[in-house]
Amino acid sequence: MMRNILILTFNDLAIAFRNKTFLLILFVPLFVFVSLNLLDESGAEASKVRIVLVQHYAYAPAIIQSIMAAKQHIEVTCVQNEQDGVRLLKERQIDGILTPHDEATGSLALLVLKKDSIAAITIMQNFSALQKAAEGNAPDWISSIKSLHRGDVQRETLPTWVLMLVLLIGFIILPMQVAEEKEKKLLLALLQTPIHELQWLIAKVILGMVLIFIAVLFLHLLGSFGPLHLFDYSIFILAGSFCFSACGIFLGFLCRNQASARTLGVIFYLPHLLPAAMSDVSLKLTAVAPFLPSYQLYKPLQSILLEDGQLASMSFDWLYLIGLGLLMFYLSYLLMKRRWLM
Amino acid sequence: MQLEILNLARFYDQQRGLAPTSFTVSKGEMIAIVGHNGAGKSTLLKVLANWINPDAGIAMFDGIDLKNRAALVGKVGFIPEVPNLFDVFSVEYNLRLFAALTHTPFLRVEEILDDFNLLAFRKNRIQTLSKGLQQRVNIGRALLSDPSLLLLDEPTSGLDFEMTKEIHRLLKTMHEAGKTILFTSHRPEEIKSLATRIMVLHQSRLIFDGPGEAYFRSEIHENLYA
Repeated sequence: MMRNILILTFNDLAIAFRNKTFLLILFVPLFVFVSLNLLDESGAEASKVRIVLVQHYAYAPAIIQSIMAAKQHIEVTCVQNEQDGVRLLKERQIDGILTPHDEATGSLALLVLKKDSIAAITIMQNFSALQKAAEGNAPDWISSIKSLHRGDVQRETLPTWVLMLVLLIGFIILPMQVAEEKEKKLLLALLQTPIHELQWLIAKVILGMVLIFIAVLFLHLLGSFGPLHLFDYSIFILAGSFCFSACGIFLGFLCRNQASARTLGVIFYLPHLLPAAMSDVSLKLTAVAPFLPSYQLYKPLQSILLEDGQLASMSFDWLYLIGLGLLMFYLSYLLMKRRWLM
Repeated sequence: MQLEILNLARFYDQQRGLAPTSFTVSKGEMIAIVGHNGAGKSTLLKVLANWINPDAGIAMFDGIDLKNRAALVGKVGFIPEVPNLFDVFSVEYNLRLFAALTHTPFLRVEEILDDFNLLAFRKNRIQTLSKGLQQRVNIGRALLSDPSLLLLDEPTSGLDFEMTKEIHRLLKTMHEAGKTILFTSHRPEEIKSLATRIMVLHQSRLIFDGPGEAYFRSEIHENLYA
């Protein structure tokens, strides 16, 4: 059995090389790398900001009064301790946590996800206006900004690019390769040999996982991005590549030819990519994104790469990815047994 | 009987597919399946090759149900009308890939290349070959595991005179080697020169089954090609 899987996997890799799929695999990380170096910082726009105050901290009464009076611009939530606030911040339920500044008495420290995010800029704008209205040109209330995310702006966007690579291979390349084998009756030719349907499916999943690993590795090598927790990161790339490879194979089985596979792939690709990748800058997308499988990969990747997150606290996410992958694998097997659209 | 078919049927819609069909085939027969486009010829071969599942009926080969793919691997070879090869790879790669998957010694690949006059093209990519050469590779691949039943769907469709003659020579050689062959064709001269028995499908139904002489004397032949 292993021998046949290896033969099929090497054959699939050789096809991927011959039909220029590898060029695409190398091109996309290169494109990402160039894009990262050309990245502009986004401007800020005014909106209501959501702030957390910690109950047992001693805030300056004048500041608290001003914040409470500005309900139209600032939504305040009180939590028992700072850890609860950090949790809410990670879950994108709030925009920032205000704590008394340790060194400058009477001023505040602001903890946000990203220092250069729209939310952080909006908080600073609101507090600046509030302070001028209350005290004129007194020293800044917020004298320090801390970021939950580690790394620079390039690293900030890394989870989005990794997600893009995984989805590109899962939703575009694999469905097209499966559909091509169906369209040219190559799959039926292979099934005239002693190989079992499962062997062919496993070889295809391995192909998808290998392509994803190569693409992600190449991206990391180009940008010299080292993950904070290599093992945890690898587990999620493994789970994500399995899940979306299985999804891609299933999509391929729903199509009669490459053209329809490409179309179906894009239809799945964009809705999976955009809400997850844009969930940080849009409240609506933040609400929608958790319903997409791609978010169960994006969120842990972001946590591991930027927030020092660890595998132990993300059991649901990787179990979800593995479970969905197994379901898609099984559905593909059923379609294959029925010679669906072959 | 080597092949026993009982009420085998596959339905696409009311006009197309294969109505319940029964017949038997003895070892070494060379049967031409004749009929208009959409009569059910290719469907019959695809069902026998396990490419599509039948909706009803039984097909047994040497006492083994044709649905039992694993048991029949290597015993039945199907050559579709359009060659289904990995066209970005060479002739040799394609044959070696399928030899590896069918656990056939690579020596057999050399024999096939020699028998089918493909030695000069062994390094050529399939996509650079003519349809006739591709069809030769396709037939060669089907013969790698030395199957005793060969199913060919319009093997000479779209080929020029020389290539058609070459395919006819190969079919005769395989028939002389004792293989049972079922092929579909639209060419009366091909049917006459090759087939020991003729089956006619019309609107998904088997309407004639007999020797070539009887077929060419019958009204069915006249009506079919009138």
